Amino acid sequence: MSTTTPAPVRQTAHRAHKLRRRNTALGWSFIAPNFIGFAVITLVPIILMFYMAFTDWNALGTPHWTGLANFQRLARNSTFRAAVAQTFYYAIPHIILTGVIALALAILLNQKIRGVAFFRAAAFFPYITSIVAIAIVWNLLFSPKYGPVNQFLTWIGVAHPPGWTVSSTWAMPALIIVGTWREMGYYMILFLAGLQTIPRELYEAAKVDGASGWRRFLHITWPGLRPTTFFVTVMLAIQSFKVFDLIQVMTEGGPGTSTYVISFFIFQKSIGVSSNAPGTGEFGYASAASLILFFICLTFTILQFIVNQQSDLRKPRWTPVPLALGLVAFALAVASFASGYSLGLGYLGYLALFVVCFGFLMIHVRILRRRQQ
Amino acid sequence: MSHRVGKAILYVLLVVFSAFLLVPFFWMIMSSLKQNLDVFSVPIRWIPKVFQWHNYVDVWTKADMGTWLKNTLLLSTIVTILQVLTGSFAAYGFSRVRFPGRDALFLAYVATIAVPWQAYMIPQFILMTRLGLTGKWLWPIIILQTFGAFGVFLMKQFFETIPEELSESARLDGLSEYGIWRRIMLPLSGPALASLALLTFVNTWNDYMGPLIYLRDRANFTIQVGLKTFQADPQGSSLDALLFTGSVLSVLPIAVIFLFGQRFFIEGIATSGLKG
Amino acid sequence: MKLGKPLAALMAGALAFGLAGCGSGGTTSTPTTTAAGTQTATASAPVTLTMSGWSLKTTPEFQTLVDAYKKVAPNVTITLKEYDPNTYEQLMLTDMTGGQAPDIITIKQAKYTWQWATGNALMDVSDVVAGLSKDVTGAASYAVNGKNYGVPYRQDSWLLFYNKDLFDAAGVAVPDGKWTWDTYASTAKDLTTKLAAAGKTALGTYEHSWQSTLQGFANAQKGDNTNPAGPYMTGNYTYMQPYYDRALDLQNSGAQVAYGDISTNKLTYQAQFGKQSTAMMLMGSWYIATLVSQQTSGDADKFTWGMAPAPQVDSSTVSTPVTFGDPTGMGINAKIDPSKLQAAKDFLAFVASEDAAKALAGIGITPSTSSDAVTAAVFATAGMPSDALSKTAYQVHKTMPENPSGADVMNISTVLGAAHTAIMSGSADATSELATASQKVKDKDW
Repeated sequence: MSTTTPAPVRQTAHRAHKLRRRNTALGWSFIAPNFIGFAVITLVPIILMFYMAFTDWNALGTPHWTGLANFQRLARNSTFRAAVAQTFYYAIPHIILTGVIALALAILLNQKIRGVAFFRAAAFFPYITSIVAIAIVWNLLFSPKYGPVNQFLTWIGVAHPPGWTVSSTWAMPALIIVGTWREMGYYMILFLAGLQTIPRELYEAAKVDGASGWRRFLHITWPGLRPTTFFVTVMLAIQSFKVFDLIQVMTEGGPGTSTYVISFFIFQKSIGVSSNAPGTGEFGYASAASLILFFICLTFTILQFIVNQQSDLRKPRWTPVPLALGLVAFALAVASFASGYSLGLGYLGYLALFVVCFGFLMIHVRILRRRQQ
Repeated sequence: MSHRVGKAILYVLLVVFSAFLLVPFFWMIMSSLKQNLDVFSVPIRWIPKVFQWHNYVDVWTKADMGTWLKNTLLLSTIVTILQVLTGSFAAYGFSRVRFPGRDALFLAYVATIAVPWQAYMIPQFILMTRLGLTGKWLWPIIILQTFGAFGVFLMKQFFETIPEELSESARLDGLSEYGIWRRIMLPLSGPALASLALLTFVNTWNDYMGPLIYLRDRANFTIQVGLKTFQADPQGSSLDALLFTGSVLSVLPIAVIFLFGQRFFIEGIATSGLKG
Repeated sequence: MKLGKPLAALMAGALAFGLAGCGSGGTTSTPTTTAAGTQTATASAPVTLTMSGWSLKTTPEFQTLVDAYKKVAPNVTITLKEYDPNTYEQLMLTDMTGGQAPDIITIKQAKYTWQWATGNALMDVSDVVAGLSKDVTGAASYAVNGKNYGVPYRQDSWLLFYNKDLFDAAGVAVPDGKWTWDTYASTAKDLTTKLAAAGKTALGTYEHSWQSTLQGFANAQKGDNTNPAGPYMTGNYTYMQPYYDRALDLQNSGAQVAYGDISTNKLTYQAQFGKQSTAMMLMGSWYIATLVSQQTSGDADKFTWGMAPAPQVDSSTVSTPVTFGDPTGMGINAKIDPSKLQAAKDFLAFVASEDAAKALAGIGITPSTSSDAVTAAVFATAGMPSDALSKTAYQVHKTMPENPSGADVMNISTVLGAAHTAIMSGSADATSELATASQKVKDKDW
């Protein structure tokens, strides 16, 4: 794959070594302008934060090494355990819904429809509208007594419509709906850009062959979108697991602690300023929680890297099978811990969602394999 | 015939769907025309009793809307240009040059996205202060927003869809790697560059926490920070109507940019005559 | 932990790079304008101090204090540094870590004192507090481990605001200053029925969605919340039960807007009372200045209003009603230039003085020093009620702090905040939710 490798096969070890040095210098020359800023401004503070997770740092004084004390405290804390469960409860449906709807929107709005520019702008509008206004309007729409949503539900014959953001059972589904509604346009943009990279000729050839729309999607669009899908699923998963803004403006973690997620917990233990969750300034403790959130996100990211590599047959597979299996097992363990703890329907529901998720990814792999053969 | 009916139904659905997406914006416009204490009421009042058109004058005369807009526009433009340039440059290194440690470095880039900002913003602020970067015009935010992993990751994914053969033939024609980035990769990544530019622009435009912490001088306020000055603490009196007047005005430039810029998403590779 | 040590060393190295001196830095950041070394003189040498404030355009109290002090000490110039009011503590903490906090730090919420004082960001000002007049209330809220870290300049306390026009329209007698919570609840229901009969849409009362609106009274009247062995600190919240039963009964009977409607419609108390959607409202005395200014500007309707003491548990406390409210105060940055310290301390002593109190009263602020002169100054403002009860309600009460000062208070208040939203939204019943909260506080489960 390496483009800078000259075509001739004859290469002495010395030349290979020289080439590698040349390539390293070349690669770094490209990366350096961004990396230097990134390393200083982001990487160093993050490494410092990782260190703080093992201290009692309170932002103002000197940190003292406390070993695993913060993690033990997290494990004992019922609010944190609930926050982990609720993070999964938000993230998994949100990832699936947003991903699917964004892709569908992109395909629909990639066609020649009159006024397509307007519809695209409309789909992107929720993302650019101020999140404060969104929180206000959705809260109004969901208002149990006066809200249009429940007025509609009553009208179609639902006797006891849900309390949405003022009910501990329904607040999270309400957040998932608003989150999906807000972010689908954002990921639609990325899918739209990805769709442009698929050569038109492939579609025309398929049409000549008489392939149905669904088959064209399966055999041309989906494989062609692979780099975009990978980017979108990684970003979407990370952003969903660290969801914060939406929860802060919509419910502030309430009612009770029913919409506490990990990043809200982190906020409350560090710099929080909201009235229900004043910041306690326990930055060491908050860093420990951040580290756990980081590992949850990282597991999902590495899993997606693996699936991506597996589905790309042109590239050699570099991931050893045991590592892949281990990561899958770890992800499942975290998920079942979360769900086992969770509210009511939890356990089986999560497991089912997880199976669907992985099944989806595996099918993706198989389709690509078949196409390549 | 059925084709036509299908199309009509599609349009109706699209229009209903769009209306549903624009509800909050509609509410924002209506609230921007109310009196301050009429914005929130039970039950909801969607249309103002008396339209307060003067809010759209007040927001310019009673606040520094002009300064805020100027700063935000400047900030977003600089960040977008730098992000697109350094991001696509680094992405070329990650996608087309093979060297030891490349994949690990890339994973480190992506992994940092997973760290919640609240947890490391204090160490970051201390670091920025030690480097003497705080309190200098818009620089802290430009630096903070430019060097992110997002642009690198996005552009790397798109560069991978561009066939190797093109670079190969360019190399035979004597182009350097930098020349390939400039003359082959960038022109062929139109839609990706357009979406990266758009998303970076919007994110910088709407960023609130970063500018709030780093831009303390009123002369450097961005629009999101400026709008917060309409909100008092729980004990005071907020200018809620003016807040939404400002919010409407802050959304409009982005909407315009999007409407005119969106055609770039469908042009690019597909029409550039590329034979895949 | 074999890997631990080298890793720790590495991190410590990075730490030294990033954070070195953050515990001691900042001394260089305040430029010295005085002749260095002369610590004594307040009289002659000019001194420039910086001080934090928020929403300067609409919050005149900082400028008022600065101007008043200029008359007393013409050599001291105080410049204000403006902060966003809703993220004040967050920005202040950031500035403290970066060594950029101003010389004089306004303590907006007393409950942050513990965090700042134990982090050595505030200077011990016990000597200033020792010299304050006995009429100053609220200094105890800034005491941490026996030392004082702040001086209160204003002391708000919660009162019952009522709309006299609506009472008259309903034909209900206005508060007489002897109300218990039972009188309050029955009057609210009575008002709601009679207002509806009179063709008004206003409800009897409005209880804002904050946890303090309910728990503040419960803590002050039953919670013994300054006692480390009291039920608030030790986690036994059954005393809140009657307060929740009453609030839930009022919202279920329709005499006040339901919590769910307040939170989903983002109702503001200023609009509810100012636009006459309610006949009564419990609120802090800061609202006096806001209401007067909104009635003047036309944002609020013009109507006759008055103030009454907060309702009591029983008639035993009506002569000196028990209510709650936190002070607002000033502290000194621990990293202040030593040559400016004396000037800063002098200013702190001034903000709690009679002179400062009069200046603050003139703009409708309730100062930490209460006296007949202060009350007279507050009520001299145009737009203020003139009845005797309003004046008594304003001046005579026993004000408990909303929260005591201490290590666990933030976490306790978070646990209670979650309980509040769960109970008021109807997601959980009060008995079991308060039991859960008690257990969490007992176990320090946070």
